[in-house]
Amino acid sequence: MRRSLVLTGAAVTVLGLLAGCSSGGSGSDSGRTTLKVAALEGGYGRAMYTQVIEEYEASHPDIDVELQISKSIEDEITPNMKAGKYPDVVVLGQGRKAALTETLIKDKALEDLTPVLKEKVPGENTTVGDKLTKGIVGNLNTNPYGNDQTYLMPMYYAPTGLFYNQGLFEQKGWKVPSTWDEMFALGDQAKKQGIPLFTYPTAGYLDSYFFALLADIGGEQFYTDVMTYKKDVWKTANARKALDITTRLLSYAAPATVGYANEQDFTKNQQLILDNKALFMPNGTWIVGGMADAPRAKGFKWGLTPLPAVTAGGKRYITTSVESVWIPKAAQHKDAAKDFIAYLYSDKAAKIFAESNAIQPIEGIASSLTGENAEFYQVYEDPSVSALVGGFASTAPVAGVDIKATLFDTANSIISGDTTEDKWQTALNDASEKLRQAGD
Amino acid sequence: MTTLSTPPPGSTNRTSDTAGKAPSTGRSRRGAQAPARVGRRRGNTGFVLACLLPALVLFTVFMVIPTVNVFRTSLYTWGGFSPDKQFVGLDNFRHLLDDQQFVRAFQNTVALLVVVTVVTMGMGLFLAAIMTRQRLRGRNLYRFVLYIPNVLSVVVIAAIFSAVYDQDNGLINGTLRLLSLDGLQQVWLGNQKIVLYSVAIAMVWQSLGYYMVLYMAGMASIPEELYEASALDGASGTRQFFAITLPLIWESLRTTLTFFVMSAVNLSFVLVRAMTGGGPDGSSDVLLNYMYKQAYTNSSYGYGMAIGVVIFAFSFLVSLLVSRATKREPLQF
Repeated sequence: MRRSLVLTGAAVTVLGLLAGCSSGGSGSDSGRTTLKVAALEGGYGRAMYTQVIEEYEASHPDIDVELQISKSIEDEITPNMKAGKYPDVVVLGQGRKAALTETLIKDKALEDLTPVLKEKVPGENTTVGDKLTKGIVGNLNTNPYGNDQTYLMPMYYAPTGLFYNQGLFEQKGWKVPSTWDEMFALGDQAKKQGIPLFTYPTAGYLDSYFFALLADIGGEQFYTDVMTYKKDVWKTANARKALDITTRLLSYAAPATVGYANEQDFTKNQQLILDNKALFMPNGTWIVGGMADAPRAKGFKWGLTPLPAVTAGGKRYITTSVESVWIPKAAQHKDAAKDFIAYLYSDKAAKIFAESNAIQPIEGIASSLTGENAEFYQVYEDPSVSALVGGFASTAPVAGVDIKATLFDTANSIISGDTTEDKWQTALNDASEKLRQAGD
Repeated sequence: MTTLSTPPPGSTNRTSDTAGKAPSTGRSRRGAQAPARVGRRRGNTGFVLACLLPALVLFTVFMVIPTVNVFRTSLYTWGGFSPDKQFVGLDNFRHLLDDQQFVRAFQNTVALLVVVTVVTMGMGLFLAAIMTRQRLRGRNLYRFVLYIPNVLSVVVIAAIFSAVYDQDNGLINGTLRLLSLDGLQQVWLGNQKIVLYSVAIAMVWQSLGYYMVLYMAGMASIPEELYEASALDGASGTRQFFAITLPLIWESLRTTLTFFVMSAVNLSFVLVRAMTGGGPDGSSDVLLNYMYKQAYTNSSYGYGMAIGVVIFAFSFLVSLLVSRATKREPLQF
C-alpha cells in the first residue's frame, strides 16, 4: 500500500515537472481573433503603438491586439518562435545585432506581402501602394530576393548621413564641404586647431557612410552590383576608389575612436561631436533623442549633411534607414495581420506615429514636420540628392562569412594600422565571392 | 624535517572489500530471515528507482537531449528557424579549419585560459598563504575586499573596467599621467595587441577572491603541529609552503583547475560581450562569442553548433588532461 503511494507520488512529481515545461493557450477562441503584434521599442517609445492599437480595436471589435514590445524584442520572441509559436505581425528592421529579420529572410520564412500593396487602407479609399512614397518599395530592403515580391513593408524611414555641430561651423566660419577635396582641406584646417575631422560610434555605423559612398562613386548600378555580390566587383577601380577615400578619411579620425568603438563606450565617441572634439560622424536622426541629456558645447546645434560629392556637382546619395514590418510565414492569423498592416498606413495611424517622430514613407508627410526633424528631412528636397535604400542582398547563410563585418569592422584595424588597404580589398573580394556562390 | 606519510597502497580497496562482504556475513548469521529480507530489498530497489526517476528525467531532458542535439545540429546547414535543414556531414568542421576568425578566437581562448589560470592561481595561493600563515592585521577586511568582485555581476564589472581603462579619464591612464609616465599610457580597449590582456586583467580581478577563499579553506584544515615541527627543524616560510602547504591542498588545487577551464570558456564570453563585443575588428573574440555571432547573427546555426562541439570537446579534453597530469597519491596527515 505504502509502496504504491510512494510510486504514485513519484509519478505525480514527474508529471508535474513535465507539465511545467509546457504552457497552454492559443490565439483565438469563439470567433474572436487575438492578433499578436511584436515591436521593437526604438527611440520612438511605446506609447504610439498602444494608441494605434486602441484606434484599431475600436474600429475592429472582433479583434484583440496583444502587443509585445521591448528594446530587445528578438530575445523575447525567439524562444517561442523556436518552439513554433510565432507572432502575427513583427515591427523590426534589418541591421540589428541579433539579425532576426535577416535570419528569417535567409530562411525564406516570411509571408509574401505583395497583396497588401493592392489592399485598400481600412476606412480609406486609396490602396497602400498608392499612399507610399515612390521608390520606397521594390528595393532590396523590401524585396530581399531581388524579384517583384515584397516581403517587408517599409514602416518608418529616416535619413542617415554625417552629423555635425552647426554652431561650431558658424562660429569658425567654416562651410560644410560639398566635395571630398573640400572635406580633406577642412580636415587639414581643423587639425591645425586640434579638432579631428571624423569619428564613428562603432564601426557598424559606417553602413550609412559606405552605401552612400559606393553609389556616389559608381551610381546606383554599381551600388547594386556590390550589394548583389557581382563577380570581382571589389577588384574594380570604383571599389578601389571607395576604399581609397575611406582610408584617407580614417587617417583623419579622432585618436580616441577605436578605443571607444564598442558596446560599452560608443556614446563617448558620440560625445566627441557634442564637445567639439571631432567634426563629423555617421549616424541617424535618432541621435538627437539618444544624446538628448548629454552635456554639449555652447551654441551646439545638430546638423545633417549627405556625404560630399566625389566630383563637384556630382549626384549625391543619402542612405535611408527603413524599419520594416513583416509577417512570419508560420503566423496563425495571416489575413488579420495583413489587414492590421494596411491599417498602419492610415491617416489616423500616421498622425499618431508622426507625433512620436516616427515618420512613415507616406506621400506628403514631410511637409507636416516641425523642428529639428523638418530640417533633417529637408535633405530629400535637394534635387542633387537621392535617397538610397537597401543593403546587402540575402543569400543562403555562409558559415564564417560576414561581409558587413569585413567591410565595416576593418576600419578599426585601418585606423590602428593593424591591416592595410590592400588586405582589406582582398578580404572583401573573398567574402563577396563566397556569398555570390551561395546566392547562385 | 617532518615527513608526510602516504597511506599504504590498497588501503582504500580494503575498506570497500569489507563493506562488500558485510551483507553476506549478515545473511549467514540470520539465515532464517533471508526471504523477508529479499522482499524488503526488492521493495527498496523500487523505492530507490522511484526516487531517482525525477532527477533522471530532468537530467535527460535538460542535459542529455540538448547535448545530443548540439552534436546532431553540427552536421547540418540550418538558419535556425526554417523547417528545411540540409545534412552536410562534417562540412561545418572542415570550414572551421579555413576560418581565420575561428582560429583567432580559439587562440584567444587558449591564451586567456593559460594567462588567467597561471596568474589567478599564483596570486590566489600567495594571498591565501599570507592570510592564513602570517597573522596580518585586518586580514578579514582584506579577505572581504578581495572577495567582493566575485559577487558583482559581470555586466557591472564590464562597466567598472570601462571606467578603469578609459583612454582619457580612466583610472590607469589618469594615474600614469599623474606620475608623469605619459609614455606608458595605452588605449587599453582599442589597441589590438593589448585588448586581450585588458580582458584577462578583468577576469583575474573578478575571480581572485573566490579562489583565494577556496585555498584558504584548504590551508586552514592543515594541522598546526606540522608547521611547528618543521619550524623546529629550521624550515623557512617558503620551504613550509612548498613542502607542507602545497602538497596538502593539492586536491583543492586540482579541483580549481577544472573551474579555471570552465571560467576561461564561460566568463570570458560574458565579459568580452559586455566589454569589447569581440572588437576591435575581432581581436578579442573568444570561442563562445564567435559561436554566438555565427549561430545568431550570421544565421549559420549549424556552423555555430559545430563550434559548440569544438568547445565541448576542448573543455572536456583539457579538464581530463589537467586532471590526469596533476594526479598524485593523496597525502594524509
